[in-house]
Amino acid sequence: MIDQRIFEDLQTKIDEESAVRDDAPRKPFSRGRIQRPVIMKTVLDDATASIAAQKEEVARLKAVANQHPFYKYNGVWSRELQNLVASIELCAWLGGLQEHKGPNSASFMTIDDVGKYLDVLVNLKEQDAFHLTIEEYLLALISMVEELSRLAVNSVTLGDYERPLQIGNFIKDLFSGFQLLNLKNDILRKRSDGIKYSVKKVEDVVYDLSLRNLIPKSGAAV
Amino acid sequence: MGTKRSWEGQPVGLHVKSEMNTSESANSILSIFENFRSELDEHHDRRERIIKTSRDITALSKKIIFALQRVRATNAPIPPKIAKENQTRLEQITTLFTNIVPDLQGINAWRYRSISSGIQEYIEAIAFEHYLRTQTLITHGEVCARVPTGILVTEEDYLLGLFDLTGEMMRFAVLALSSGNASTSTSTETQTAETTKQLPHLSASQAGIVFDLRAMRASFEELTVPRKHNMLRDLLKKVEVMQNSVEKVERAAYGILVRGSERPSGWTPDLSVPVEVGVE
Repeated sequence: MIDQRIFEDLQTKIDEESAVRDDAPRKPFSRGRIQRPVIMKTVLDDATASIAAQKEEVARLKAVANQHPFYKYNGVWSRELQNLVASIELCAWLGGLQEHKGPNSASFMTIDDVGKYLDVLVNLKEQDAFHLTIEEYLLALISMVEELSRLAVNSVTLGDYERPLQIGNFIKDLFSGFQLLNLKNDILRKRSDGIKYSVKKVEDVVYDLSLRNLIPKSGAAV
Repeated sequence: MGTKRSWEGQPVGLHVKSEMNTSESANSILSIFENFRSELDEHHDRRERIIKTSRDITALSKKIIFALQRVRATNAPIPPKIAKENQTRLEQITTLFTNIVPDLQGINAWRYRSISSGIQEYIEAIAFEHYLRTQTLITHGEVCARVPTGILVTEEDYLLGLFDLTGEMMRFAVLALSSGNASTSTSTETQTAETTKQLPHLSASQAGIVFDLRAMRASFEELTVPRKHNMLRDLLKKVEVMQNSVEKVERAAYGILVRGSERPSGWTPDLSVPVEVGVE
């Protein structure tokens, strides 16, 4: 006495849901590797162009995603969106995307700046629509910190002795920001626990440089 | 590289300047993060409320199921004592659901799926009760009608709840099979066997539950869930458990049927129903 229709309906539903998954564009977000100060401008321009292209992908994604409850499929693109935001932040911190930074943002773009730039809403609480969540934004910042700690090492290799210091100051500020959060045992907690290693990595570089008196002291230093 | 500058240049002036910059940007970062903190706290609090509710609902549903396992007959009203006991539990569950509705509104319905495990357990309970009363499977629509509006019951919850139901049906069936036994057929069915000995049959209610479980298993197995579907992981595990349950019942039915006849001849179940359905 088991009604077959029950199972047929379930199958239809499963098929529908899978179709949506296939619809959502998978975006290979590439990251700009920015290293030599000499060619900084070219690299930033490249990165900006690539970010602008991905911005259009986001618009496509938004159109598809908005037809469904946001959190139902959020996991499908969350990772890619984080990568994009991390690239944007990195690019902005290095001096790109200046026109999109808010007036009182420090050296990086706030969540509102990013939202405005990508033309997506941020941190929605009531409205069910495509947006960038706080968690995604914070995770992107952590990715940026990780990239910056690599850059600190590499910029020394490339002869830029000043940047590690800037990076060190910046990520220490971010680090103290993250320490203000009450994190539960989730991905954000796990990733933000890793920031201290990035901080340490940069501090080691700064230490090595200052030990050898290699840190430029005047503002004119290149 | 003009990197190495004189120490005495103007180290103090530079220092002050850079420190000012740092503290300024540090302050703005701190205020941004303080804002994030309150947002995240709100999220975590809500999440915890929902998880707690979900656990409470699960616990109550389990109690309902235990009570229902004491029922002995299918396709009949639940005995009043058990029904009354469960009624209070169901009311408690409804209250729990109603209280959590504000936390699961709009966009949050899909955000906090931790309520799902509670919903699944609840579905298991009401589906089991529904099956015992009517010997049919509860539909998704009927389930939705039994939760307060504002609580989202997805097809996924429903399906996973049904999987758990097979486990309960298994326990029920095994108990039913061993307490009532195969009644030796008294029907006038002609037997093909050469032996004059009558072949044993399962009673109708026993046969019915075995039959239904096998039908459910067949239907579950017919569902194809694509690799990418996110319920797949839960599903694979549940399919395995379900298959085991069904097999257990199949073997139990077989055992009762074949060996039941070896029971003392005077032993007959008190509630034996006239045999109509034979299990092939």
